[in-house]
Amino acid sequence: MAKALQWIKMGRKLLLEKAHVEGIRYYDVYRREGGYRSVEKALKTMTQEEIVEEVKKSGLRGRGGAGFPAGMKWSFIAKPEGVPRHLVCNADESEPGTFKDRYLMEFIPHLLIEGLIVASYALGSNATYIYIRGEYAWIPDILEQTIAEAKANGFLGKNILGTGFDCEIYVQRGAGAYICGEETALIESLEGKRGNPRIKPPFPAIKGAWGRPTVVNNVETLAAVVPIINEGGEEYAKIGVGKSTGTKLISACGNINKPGVYEIDMTISVEEFIYSDEYCGGIPNGKRLKACIPGGSSVPILPANLLLKTAKGETRYMNYESLSDGGFATGSMMGSGGFIVLDEDQCVVRNTYSLARFYRHESCGQCSPCREGTGWMEKVLLRLEKGEGKLSDIDLLWDIQSKIEGNTICPLGDAASWPVAAAIRHFRDEFEWHVTHAAEAQTRNYGLAHYADPIHVPA
Amino acid sequence: MVQFSEEKLTKVKEIIARYPEGKQKSALLPLLHLAQDNFGGWLSAETMNYVASLLQIEPIEVYEVATFYSMYNTKPVGKYVFEVCQTGPCMLNGSDQIIDYISATLGIKPGETTADGLFTLKTAECLGACGYAPMMQLGKHYREHLTKDKVDTIIAECRAAAAANN
Repeated sequence: MAKALQWIKMGRKLLLEKAHVEGIRYYDVYRREGGYRSVEKALKTMTQEEIVEEVKKSGLRGRGGAGFPAGMKWSFIAKPEGVPRHLVCNADESEPGTFKDRYLMEFIPHLLIEGLIVASYALGSNATYIYIRGEYAWIPDILEQTIAEAKANGFLGKNILGTGFDCEIYVQRGAGAYICGEETALIESLEGKRGNPRIKPPFPAIKGAWGRPTVVNNVETLAAVVPIINEGGEEYAKIGVGKSTGTKLISACGNINKPGVYEIDMTISVEEFIYSDEYCGGIPNGKRLKACIPGGSSVPILPANLLLKTAKGETRYMNYESLSDGGFATGSMMGSGGFIVLDEDQCVVRNTYSLARFYRHESCGQCSPCREGTGWMEKVLLRLEKGEGKLSDIDLLWDIQSKIEGNTICPLGDAASWPVAAAIRHFRDEFEWHVTHAAEAQTRNYGLAHYADPIHVPA
Repeated sequence: MVQFSEEKLTKVKEIIARYPEGKQKSALLPLLHLAQDNFGGWLSAETMNYVASLLQIEPIEVYEVATFYSMYNTKPVGKYVFEVCQTGPCMLNGSDQIIDYISATLGIKPGETTADGLFTLKTAECLGACGYAPMMQLGKHYREHLTKDKVDTIIAECRAAAAANN
């Protein structure tokens, strides 16, 4: 068993395996390395339903953050007679800590286009859109060149591979709005409007872009369709553990020696991910681990002791179930895979303030709890950070976040609440110290304190 | 007068054709990017009205979009706009110091433009380059792993490019 795991650990990369082959960005090399086999297999030998079935069997969960089963999402798409359907690829990647989709699109763009063609066929989309965040301004050029190459080789356009299936892929740039990563805001933006999320239902699968049935999937999710079709859903599901099947891209950043994008198979421990040379390579300058936000800025921050082990004292692993073990009381989430590490010199109050400022900036303003609450939290956190806060501010923050969560049209409200709630839950004494030692807090940080101490596990 | 070249107008048609018939408003974001790049790096009321006329929509539909998205400048900006990310992961890696340094070197605060019209400094929220922090956007590209030395080099590069163009 240990040996088998070792082999998996060393061997299995499904998305980035070929990302560093010279010239892989271009069609000829990509094709020579086995590219576009899944399109041939899917379009020539499989029905739409069979493809959806394979994706269901694979257990693939949405890689954008929510983790919703992709095959199930596909199966919800409505098929009213005579109404066109659309696939939209969410490349808005804006969750702080997350930069994996950018990597995939820059280094191995044909993998995304290949996945998009298969998914477009499965969903019956003849016009598919990639909505990419506006700041990634150089990537549309790469994607458009990739699309042109695929088209020149008969994998896009009219009557693909002689199967009668037509498909065009268009790239649309956003213009700087985190909220457009939320699928209904993305659709609004695609329609040329402000990115205000829509009330659901109706879900996009029934009424999406231009009122037509639409599926929105993350870049990594759509790229994963390629190995699923090539190897079969069951084979894909054998990789990983439990409901965390396949591989996951993790973008690691913060205070680590080797920031970057890593493809993991979700069987490694958090400790190994941080300290092994194969991944983050430990923390620079011999500093110690204080805290970590393991799945993008919206997910709960954990102190070192709860990050490496669960409250039950078990090893915590880099997968959906293990990262959320203990719920919000003692766990966190896999989220988008944006892994942010904080060393002992970092201030949790300052970090929380920085994130609160982000959410205030990005709130679309539609729902008052979020519009007003995010600004209020930012203000209170800033005064705590500057040593001008009161002890009652901590309870005030708790109160505000609890009144935003669950009371907004879209999950941005939750995303803004959770980081504040988790910071207070686990680092309350650091917040209090900013009040009781206000002058000192301006000259030094609270440090590691007890946040890495072993947790007492009741027998 | 604000007017795209024939070549750009062909591009406009090509963009509009990506969307279903009658849904030309969908081309608004790409057209605003195109307009901003063409007409001095910002969107004047005249520019926005022109875009509205191209898409046969009301000017207000353009204004409400232009003011929603942070990449559209509704006021004039310098020739080179430094947009420095200040969110969490960049902050952990010293983005505050980089912003202060640029501010001191150019003598402007975030949101301001130098008197010679060359530089604008802006703070930005997460640009998706967290592993390469601290960083900033400069035009179409990212400048990553910023240090004070790198900032000096970038400023010198911009000055040299501006001098060469004049």
